[in-house]
Amino acid sequence: MRHAQLLYRLIVRPLLREKARTTLTVLAVALGVSVVVAIDLAGEASTNSFRSSIETLQGSASYEIHQVGGIPEAVFGELVRMPGPLRFSARIEGFGTVLGRGERVPVFGVDLIGDALLSERGDLPAPALSDIMDSDAVWVTPSLGVAEGEEVQLLVNDRTETFTVGGVIDTSQADGGPVGAMVVMDLSEAQRALDRVGRLDRIYVHEPDGEERDRSEAIRQHLPPGAVLSAAGVRSQQSRAMLRAFRWNVRVLSYIALIVGAFLIYNTVSVSVVRRRPQIGVVRALGASRSMVRVAFLAEGCLLGAAGAALGLPLGRALAIGAVETMGRTVQALYVSSAPGEIGIRPLTGALAACVGIGIALAASWWPAREAAGATPSEAMARARLEYDAATTRGKWAWRALGCAIVSAGLCLLPAWERIPFAGYVGALGLVASAAMLTPRVSAACLKASERLFTLPFGVAGMLGARSLAASLARTSVIVAAMSIATAMMISVGIMVGSFRETVDLWIQEELRADLYLRPEGVEGSNDRATLSPAVVTKVEGSRHVAAVDRFRTYDISYGGLPATLASRDIRLHAARSTTRFLEGPEPDTIWDQLATSDSLIVSEPFNRKHDVHVGDTIELRLGSNRVGFTVAAVNYSYAREEGLLMCDRSILQRYIPDSRPSSIAIYLKPGADIVQAQEEIARSVAMHNVQIVRNREVRERSLVVFDRTFAIAYALEAVAIVVAILGMAGALLTLVLDRRAELGVLRVLGATKAQVRSLVLAQSGMLGLVSNLIGCLLGGALSLVLIKVINKQSFGWTIQFHWPVGFLLAALTAVYGASLVAGVYPARIAAARDPIEVLHEE
Amino acid sequence: MTALSDVTVEIDPGEFVALIGRSGCGKSTFLNLAGAMDLPTHGEVHIGGVSTARMGDAELTAVRREQVGFIFQFFQLLPTLSAVENVELPLQLASQPRPRHRALELMELVGLNGLGDRLPYQLSGGQMQRVAVARALVHSPAVLLADEPIGNLDTETSSGILDLLQHINTDLGTTIVMATHSRDSAARAGRILRLSDGRLSPESPTRPV
Repeated sequence: MRHAQLLYRLIVRPLLREKARTTLTVLAVALGVSVVVAIDLAGEASTNSFRSSIETLQGSASYEIHQVGGIPEAVFGELVRMPGPLRFSARIEGFGTVLGRGERVPVFGVDLIGDALLSERGDLPAPALSDIMDSDAVWVTPSLGVAEGEEVQLLVNDRTETFTVGGVIDTSQADGGPVGAMVVMDLSEAQRALDRVGRLDRIYVHEPDGEERDRSEAIRQHLPPGAVLSAAGVRSQQSRAMLRAFRWNVRVLSYIALIVGAFLIYNTVSVSVVRRRPQIGVVRALGASRSMVRVAFLAEGCLLGAAGAALGLPLGRALAIGAVETMGRTVQALYVSSAPGEIGIRPLTGALAACVGIGIALAASWWPAREAAGATPSEAMARARLEYDAATTRGKWAWRALGCAIVSAGLCLLPAWERIPFAGYVGALGLVASAAMLTPRVSAACLKASERLFTLPFGVAGMLGARSLAASLARTSVIVAAMSIATAMMISVGIMVGSFRETVDLWIQEELRADLYLRPEGVEGSNDRATLSPAVVTKVEGSRHVAAVDRFRTYDISYGGLPATLASRDIRLHAARSTTRFLEGPEPDTIWDQLATSDSLIVSEPFNRKHDVHVGDTIELRLGSNRVGFTVAAVNYSYAREEGLLMCDRSILQRYIPDSRPSSIAIYLKPGADIVQAQEEIARSVAMHNVQIVRNREVRERSLVVFDRTFAIAYALEAVAIVVAILGMAGALLTLVLDRRAELGVLRVLGATKAQVRSLVLAQSGMLGLVSNLIGCLLGGALSLVLIKVINKQSFGWTIQFHWPVGFLLAALTAVYGASLVAGVYPARIAAARDPIEVLHEE
Repeated sequence: MTALSDVTVEIDPGEFVALIGRSGCGKSTFLNLAGAMDLPTHGEVHIGGVSTARMGDAELTAVRREQVGFIFQFFQLLPTLSAVENVELPLQLASQPRPRHRALELMELVGLNGLGDRLPYQLSGGQMQRVAVARALVHSPAVLLADEPIGNLDTETSSGILDLLQHINTDLGTTIVMATHSRDSAARAGRILRLSDGRLSPESPTRPV
């Protein structure tokens, strides 16, 4: 109790007295915590929600059977005739766009009468026989917002189908959280609507409860060689495995603001220690132990962290709403079609906020608390001691920085662990630490150099500002470090994204050479496998403007326990027009010949890196009813799929999967054809089908829009880190103003105008901004190399050509510099408003 | 709380006035009012014939910048500036040309030739106060206000500073108002004003003798 009282008097009371500084620090921590919470919540909502729709209908299945190109219905007939207790559920899976709403939703076909699953579940309404006989009846989840008896129009493949809602599925008891919008219909109706007649997409195998006997081998005996039997839910697991790297990268980015916040807590507690050195001396002389002093200052950090966490939790929940939309779109575009789930604060979320807020605060206040506890009563001198220490240890820290940078560079050379580049993250963190260690020395040099520079616009105020900052180097450099880190992260992400964008743009231009592209309307997700009717292709080929049509078809496959995409196209046609760049392989002509004439394929760079597959290797794929060995003809640069893309010739693939419907087509016009006229004529000829025809330029633009949307969250996170740093700078300048109030008072007595005092503080904020920009640029450049060459490559497997996004960098640096000036406005006002007499009297 | 009450004093150019009294008697307040650093709640302070109550912040700043020089008990040198930089600071604030030349002249005047590059912490107490005197004089003010200028110095050094002030008053004709609690120091002045509880003692000569 007495300790609590002492803690209140010595720690809490001063914090409450300095409301502005305390508020700024708490706000900075709160922002840091909020982005961590927001990203965690948004990550959960956007990446786990796909299990809601797929796994809801999976039930208690033990196994699932899948076959690229579909399982022949006859296989299902054989399975259900198997003796024993096993039960089987057939599935058709696809997507449809709800007309009027424009929402793309999963469409499932289930055997409404015979499905073993339905008999044990109460959430799906048992349909009346008349409903099932009524072929246009569908069942929907509540989130679709359609009532029983109403009509719903779905755009499926390139047709519009009208259905009547037979009932609304009760999803309130569903496992794994809320279920997104989906449409369920009878199996045969789904086969018709989705063009899968005679085929099934998946068969679930249900074992009786308590079954211990492994029946997988018995099941396999009834399957064609191309079918894959795996544990139920393996797709979701594979998708989650794919998403892990994505989530890790976003998660790590979200911690940047918190790291910047840590510097601010360090600064706040350091200032407290410096200011209260005489008090520390007194309480030590009166009998306080070192540990008591240490605990007191750790408690101060802890209080700031706890307050930040408490504020950051609801703020994070609010930020998550925006983040989940962005992340959900990215997940949908790059990984798996899924509508984001609901954002909910679980007990774990609160624990996360408390852990990161208080944890980072404790870590940040450890050093100043140690410094406070280490002082003997006689050493209880003011800032001079700390500044002396800072000046004398500057050289030592420079050497440590060099050592840390070398070790960090070494770490960056280590391989990833489970596709997560942990060594790269630590290496990047090490570089950040190196920069922080070098900051005092660089700041001192820069402040000396900038003295003259700032004297020109600010007069004597510029010189005084530089001198004052240099004299407060111990705290100035902490703020410069925080600001530099935030700036560096902004710059490094900017360079990485800018380079990536430029690389992708170049790749799109090389790969997409057709004049027009045609695909079913409404297709969104990367695993949305809608197809076009053969009639569409025939009509397009018949156009007088068309020289050639390249039919592109994609299938979801699984390889090495990870999802991948198998694609086919008319290779000769593509080869004649594209300028594909290869990472590995012989001359392009040889590659194309090999692809057109044999069971060969090209693998994309991400696939090559994930599975360590190289030219000449044989990949066994299960296609249709066959197991086929494909030779890797080349590895190409491809940025289409993170999971990896395998490309083979259309005619070769059709030998194994005789399905002629393409997913999309690339249309090459005859020389001299008018593209506008051709587009209009083709659109008219396929008017009966729901398709979209876009020009080459539009595809490129749309791709870049998706790209920009994907990285919007990265920029948002960096912007938050900058805001945190700006808050810190404002707090530091305010502290500087308060601590040097006597000097400012003397200036006023000597004839300085209020404007000159304001200029002095603004010049200081300008100097801090300039030094931070300089260090941030250098560190940002180094970090961008780590991001491009190590973290991105190990996480996703893409080669990114380095590119300086000059416009972005200039804009970012100007914005950071402008923001740092803004950070000085309030402290400048405070400084100018102080009464010199009052100040001198206080001293 | 009333710091000063019923105080009417006229100080003529070239005078050396000592203001004595106990701690808290209002000496510093008197100097602050006289130096346009503060404004009276009642009554008026005229500097050069103009009431400070009628001056805005810019005019008060101009008075401090051009007409008044201050010397403090604790020197109040800016620790980040060298001795000569401290001296030239008022000229820089007023955007005067060639401030260094004038600052060096003043450094010579106060006997600190060759010490201009030293930072305050590299100087003794007496040297710091000499720098403060030089800084107070660098812009040739009409009045020098010294608040306990020797309050933080030993006897020998104090004597040197008082000699310097006398020299400035006599040779340069600068008006000096010095607050002190030392009778010996006050004896160096041409007129002594005694303050007690914010009022001038009856024996204080309110006009030049």
